[in-house]
Amino acid sequence: MSVSLCKVFPHLQNAEVSLDVQHPVPLFLPVRTKKRYFIPPAVGMKGKGEENTEAKARAAGIVFRQQYFERPINIACTAGIFDPYVPPEGDARLSSLSKGGLKQRTEQIRQSAASQLAIRKIKEHDSEFTTKDFSERAQEIFIEAHNCLTQFNKEKLHSLVTERCYPEMTRGNRYKTICWRFLESLEPPRVVHARCPDMVSKGNLYGQVTVRMHSKQTLAIYDRFGRLMLGSEEQPKDVLEYLVIERHLVNPYGRWRLHGKIVPSWAPTKDPVIKTVMIPGPKLKPGEEFDALNYSVPKPEAVQWNK
Amino acid sequence: DVFTGTAFIRNISGALHSRLQVLGGGAQQLSCLHTSASLESKNWERRNLKVYPPQLPNEQRRAAEIHHSRRQIKYSKDKMWYLAKMIRGMSIDEAIAQLEFNDKKGAKIMKEVLLEAQEMAVKNHNVEYKSNLYVAESFSGKGKYLKRIRYHGRGMFGIMDKVYSHYFVKLVEGSPPQMEQKTSFDQAKEYVQSLKNRTIIHGL
Repeated sequence: MSVSLCKVFPHLQNAEVSLDVQHPVPLFLPVRTKKRYFIPPAVGMKGKGEENTEAKARAAGIVFRQQYFERPINIACTAGIFDPYVPPEGDARLSSLSKGGLKQRTEQIRQSAASQLAIRKIKEHDSEFTTKDFSERAQEIFIEAHNCLTQFNKEKLHSLVTERCYPEMTRGNRYKTICWRFLESLEPPRVVHARCPDMVSKGNLYGQVTVRMHSKQTLAIYDRFGRLMLGSEEQPKDVLEYLVIERHLVNPYGRWRLHGKIVPSWAPTKDPVIKTVMIPGPKLKPGEEFDALNYSVPKPEAVQWNK
Repeated sequence: DVFTGTAFIRNISGALHSRLQVLGGGAQQLSCLHTSASLESKNWERRNLKVYPPQLPNEQRRAAEIHHSRRQIKYSKDKMWYLAKMIRGMSIDEAIAQLEFNDKKGAKIMKEVLLEAQEMAVKNHNVEYKSNLYVAESFSGKGKYLKRIRYHGRGMFGIMDKVYSHYFVKLVEGSPPQMEQKTSFDQAKEYVQSLKNRTIIHGL
């Protein structure tokens, strides 16, 4: 097409070159190539097995250079909570003075053998591990981590919270303001559960310890415009939480960090968000009508889940 | 990067203070200074990232503002302006209804932009009722044009612009503000009053 253009409007070719840089003028035309009467067999084949070529090359005597892993991936935390602790029903409802409460109080970690084994393993690697001051440390880590969340101190938060927990804590918080205060602890924190799973290869030990704490906290979340979305500043709430703290035991520089929370199935429902939200209605067949009077909003199942 | 509400406001105010001081001092030298000279400056979208500090309970609830835009629409900015001027000040439902039954090509695109903005408002910006929005600002801008050759007779040519435009819209929560309708009698009264307020200086 450009050849005919060249013949009819010779002066236009220069104009094309100067203005329209996206279509450069070709300097020569491809002439139709000579027909090949012999086509090598390699042209027809599309995909070959790569192992074949590699093995063949190695057999032929070609030596490959050593492959360096310039960017090794270090996994410092597990992907979830192994063998999660199932909190007994009505944990914080009964007071210590009643009979049922005493029974619960006497359920110590001595009951579960697996937790004892796990704690023994942890004591092998970390000699200064005691259940008493570990629970205090766990509470301190929890308070520090949430204070960092309110100030958006990313570096400190990464050192207090594992990589799995960090996105769960900070998702959607970037354009919101969080005001959180820890008022007091109603009961001293207790270690209730411990496990020592190993990831990928045997011997790569991670220790996961579950700590139970009952405390008073205030939480208020404001959206982008400074309007209250959830909670209130003045009204404190009693919170019973089961925190999972994890550490990479084999790593000498490993630290105990918050790994997640366990929400039991019998937990009371949280306060609703201040605004009204539309939920999708039931799927109707064509011809059916939506019966607003007899329709009940489906409630989520009461299942224990890890956060 | 992440900023807290207060830290961000402090940063902005700090920058503004320094800018004002500098301007007051060397006005002549810095009059040619202008910031953000890049071609792909997405300032309109960045207005969505501003975080305000938490409001006290006795303050009036701040209205949510949502900025949305679409870039490089294959339509003329002048033709787009007519539609943008039409929906200025309308509530969002009214604006969408008007655009749906408008015959222009830009109306369909503008309607998509408005629906996107409405969804964004409900999902990301904590707007409670999706009909409680109105169009505060809406305007069109020139996009980046592609240049082609338009062939004329006798070997003459013209540069043809393939026209693109941007469309910007700002939705604010609340009912649309009522514009004061001035009657012709009121305008006539004002004219007569302005005539009466004239004073004759240096007169006898």
